[in-house]
Amino acid sequence: MRFIIRHITDKIFTALTVLSVVVLVAILAVILTPILWKGFSAVVFTGTIEFRKMQLDLFNRGDIDELNKENARSQLYRKKIYDTIDRFKQNIDAETLCDKAAQICRTFGKELQRKNMPGAEYQQLRSLSREIRDKLQIAFNSSNKKIVDENIKDVLKYKTDIRFKDTSAAELFAIAENFAADIKNIDLAKRQEYAYALKEFENITVKLLGYNPSTPVPALKMNRYGATRLNIAKKILNQLLLLEKWEQTSPGKPMVKISTPRARLFAGTEIEPLFDYIRDNIDEMLIPKRTFYWQYLIDSSTPGHYFGGVGPEILGTLLLTLASMVFIFPIGIISAAYLAECPSDNFIIKIIRMAINTLAGVPSIVFGLFGLAFFVLYLVPLFGGPSKPCILTAALTLAALTLPVMIRASEEAIRSVPQSYKEASLGLGAGKLRTFICVILPAALPGILTGIILSISRVAGETAPILFTGAIAFGPMPKNAFDPTCTLSYGSYDIAVGDRLASLVPHNQYGMVATLITLVFCLNIAAIIMRAKISRKLKGQ
Amino acid sequence: MKKNLFTMVLVLTAVWVCNLSAAEKTLQIEGSTTVGPIADAFTEAFSQAYPDVKITVTKNGSGNGAAALVDSRCDIAMMSRFMKLDEFTASVDKGIMPVAHAIAMDGICIIVHPSNPVTELSLAQLHDIFTGAVKNWKELGGPDMPIVAISRDTSSGTYETFDHFVMRKDKMDASIEYVSSNPQVHSRVKTTAGAIGYVGVGFLDAEVKGLKVNGIMPSKQTVAGGTYPLSRPLFLFTNGYPALGTISHKFCTFYLTEKGQEIIEAKGFVPVTKY
Amino acid sequence: MEYNKAQMNTEPKTDNRSLALTALEDFKGFAFYHLGRFSLFAVSFSTVLIVLLIFFFVIQQGLPFFKNFGITEFFTSKQWYPEAGEPKFGALSIIVGSLYVTIAALILSVPMAILTAVFLSEIVSHKIRNLVKPVIELLAAIPSVAYGFFAVLVLAPFLQTEFGLSTGTNALNASIILAIMALPTIISVAEDSITAIGRDLREASYGLGATRFETIFFVVIPAAHSGIIAAIVLGMMRAIGETMVVWMASGNANQIPSPWWDLTQSVRTMTATIAGDMGETSKGSPHYQSLFAIGIILLAMTFLLNIVSEYFLASAGKNSRKK
Repeated sequence: MRFIIRHITDKIFTALTVLSVVVLVAILAVILTPILWKGFSAVVFTGTIEFRKMQLDLFNRGDIDELNKENARSQLYRKKIYDTIDRFKQNIDAETLCDKAAQICRTFGKELQRKNMPGAEYQQLRSLSREIRDKLQIAFNSSNKKIVDENIKDVLKYKTDIRFKDTSAAELFAIAENFAADIKNIDLAKRQEYAYALKEFENITVKLLGYNPSTPVPALKMNRYGATRLNIAKKILNQLLLLEKWEQTSPGKPMVKISTPRARLFAGTEIEPLFDYIRDNIDEMLIPKRTFYWQYLIDSSTPGHYFGGVGPEILGTLLLTLASMVFIFPIGIISAAYLAECPSDNFIIKIIRMAINTLAGVPSIVFGLFGLAFFVLYLVPLFGGPSKPCILTAALTLAALTLPVMIRASEEAIRSVPQSYKEASLGLGAGKLRTFICVILPAALPGILTGIILSISRVAGETAPILFTGAIAFGPMPKNAFDPTCTLSYGSYDIAVGDRLASLVPHNQYGMVATLITLVFCLNIAAIIMRAKISRKLKGQ
Repeated sequence: MKKNLFTMVLVLTAVWVCNLSAAEKTLQIEGSTTVGPIADAFTEAFSQAYPDVKITVTKNGSGNGAAALVDSRCDIAMMSRFMKLDEFTASVDKGIMPVAHAIAMDGICIIVHPSNPVTELSLAQLHDIFTGAVKNWKELGGPDMPIVAISRDTSSGTYETFDHFVMRKDKMDASIEYVSSNPQVHSRVKTTAGAIGYVGVGFLDAEVKGLKVNGIMPSKQTVAGGTYPLSRPLFLFTNGYPALGTISHKFCTFYLTEKGQEIIEAKGFVPVTKY
Repeated sequence: MEYNKAQMNTEPKTDNRSLALTALEDFKGFAFYHLGRFSLFAVSFSTVLIVLLIFFFVIQQGLPFFKNFGITEFFTSKQWYPEAGEPKFGALSIIVGSLYVTIAALILSVPMAILTAVFLSEIVSHKIRNLVKPVIELLAAIPSVAYGFFAVLVLAPFLQTEFGLSTGTNALNASIILAIMALPTIISVAEDSITAIGRDLREASYGLGATRFETIFFVVIPAAHSGIIAAIVLGMMRAIGETMVVWMASGNANQIPSPWWDLTQSVRTMTATIAGDMGETSKGSPHYQSLFAIGIILLAMTFLLNIVSEYFLASAGKNSRKK
């Protein structure tokens, strides 16, 4: 019996260890899958005509003729929407209509003055036109159909009047007729509601299709284009079709979301069929095409990373890495050589080793504080530089942080060079320096390279040390080492929580992190493969 | 011949000098994270109109903006509050005369999750929520739900304004969550049923619900007119009034142009010229 | 004749070169050797210099704070209102918050890490081990900001919707991610120390009829205890010094959770306080100095932990060398 229990415990234990490893792998998968999958959609996706327009305008990329053809085709379908909206708007907007009538009346008055007619007739015509205007305005402002009809009828009585023929006043009748025809299907009492609903409808349409070509170009780039991607377009289309409202269903409980078709707001009007029209013709209006947007990796972005890619961030990360490598590489290798070649019981060596361990354990944010206090506020100004965060200070801070990684990896590499190499070289009469440079270093190079790669991946991924020493979320490309720079790491932070525009474009959010992870992983996998090769080689000997 | 050569050299030198001075045109802008997006968008507009001017916008908080102006490290300081007395005296001591340009109005909106039936709070109720005296929506006529109050971090200008208008010297409760940006407040409130937070009026959208404060809904009219109790002007500070015609002058008066106002409105603030 | 003369001329030259160096040559060689050695030493010593500079500058900027505001309030008060008209700098709940998420993370990660280490060193073949190791290395390689991104945009909404928590950015979220980040460190150090235990102990145990579980649990792990403790301490250092994840995922509420076991409340850590507040404080203000004071505490903590871990690593090394 006891044996069975022991046996079972043993099995359970083994199962637990296996489970923990499975969980470990699962964790990696759970973290990576959403990030990489969604990040991937920043580059490969179904782009609409709006995307191609944006690319042409902002990045001067794409086939103009082709785009013009596509644009003409899509405008064919869009025109109906714009026309309908315009017409509908005209009739519910009493103020504009009244202004228009008054304007015409004024022009007519001036026209009469020029005509040189007898005073009495002039007075009569003026007052008549004023009367017509007033009646029209009553009709426009009224929400009672009966009053509208009466007034319009009164106005139209004068339509055949010979005195108004071929004058500007004739326009008044045209307006009146149009108005009478158009409002047949409109519930005038709901004019205010219509106006509000129409505004919302228009706003969503702009988000979906881009601004109406008959209105002025918006000042901000992000408002100039509609939905650039089909999945976003579908989301917006859904918003357009369904009206979401929060309603209280039971007292004392949170409200619940209720969706109703937005078309119901416009029941009976000419806007109502537009909803079905847009839904059915969305493909014709947006012309979606499979897009491979590799330029994501080189494009700069508009504020908030709304459009464009991660070009400046990648460049900044590379610059930062390069600059810190300039410091890490020599110091790291020399320190490693010193540690590996000198007797290890030395007191000083012990201190150095302890310093390296301490350095490796210092929290990254403390490096940030140190970089701010030492490099930004003390060292750079000491040499006459500007006392502000910049690439140089960030690189120095990162170099201090990454030094232990480099030293440890290189030391291990130098130590793993077989003693026989060194002895052979020394035996042939080479000096210590020559032996090190010509024999040991080349033999240890793959290992050192692994260390360099790991340091690069560390530098590229660290965020906390550069928060106050040189990273910015958005800005121009750096011109020299005294400019701050965008980086993938800080950009990932900013795009996740610091920017509202970015949360509207999740593909760009995930794209940035995915780029960072991909970069770091490529470096790490290279290091892993290289290390495997070295260990195989060493075993072979 | 000689004369021609001389003229040529002169012209070339002039061109070179012009180029130099053109390249020299830089504008350092530093300060509030709230004003930052406006400055960013102005920069975007300026980069089209004046491609040779290099404008750097650093968003590191109103306090740092003031400090940078005092140390002449920037040309324009963005501030979401007026200069404090000590900042003002410090700059005057250094021979710098801060001039304020109120470029836009910003209202601090109280936002809750859209499922929250509460539509209105008074300043006193807000005060109670953020001091921790009220912990459940039930006490405010809402559903039985714990209140998750979210604040901006204590060094931001938005916090200072909220502190000034609502807290009135009282301390915020320890259970208040602090986040480091307006968008973060927005996204926390958007995803949390019992949350309440405060953001600039530009962050009010369909995903969250803005509350009336003292019975007044935050809108363009109420914010610009000052009837909404939590409104504040946003400033650009320069050293003296910028010399007319300089790029700095153009930047500081850009808010008066139609395009500038369109940008301010697009960024969710209220143009000061539209009362 | 000419030829001979030439020979005559050259031969004495080689003869004249004595094997012994002249004083100058001797000195030159000595000088070059030691100069070279010294310059190598100087470069290597830069690491020590950096450590000293870090200590010096962080303390230099943070010390005025302790001078002006004293130590008692900082460590005993929970009132952290650095920008109030009458600023209050009580960092108790911030320090407790740091320890809180760190310990929670360790509770989550240590069992799993030790099981994995045992799996890698005792149970599977070399081949599978070589497959699992890269997974651990990749986990270690993911930048902390990417973990934070995951915590905020994936894990927090998940916790909120699936478990009905009032807030998704809380101590639990931060602890889970910190646990994942501490795993690779703990696994690799623990695995090394378990592997370093000699075959003789295991064979003796198996020879007495113990099962694998008994051997590992009662023989191998006790023998490797100092290495495992060092691993846990290193994992703790990793967790306590982590910034981006806790900043993004812990909610940053300045409170000590009550009841104390309630992980679903928001807490604020030292690292997050520095990262969050430093961006907008003006240089030289008491608030700025207080953040450096927190930096000093962090530095002291990690330094102590480092000494502890080195002590245990050294004793682990001694143990394995004894065999």
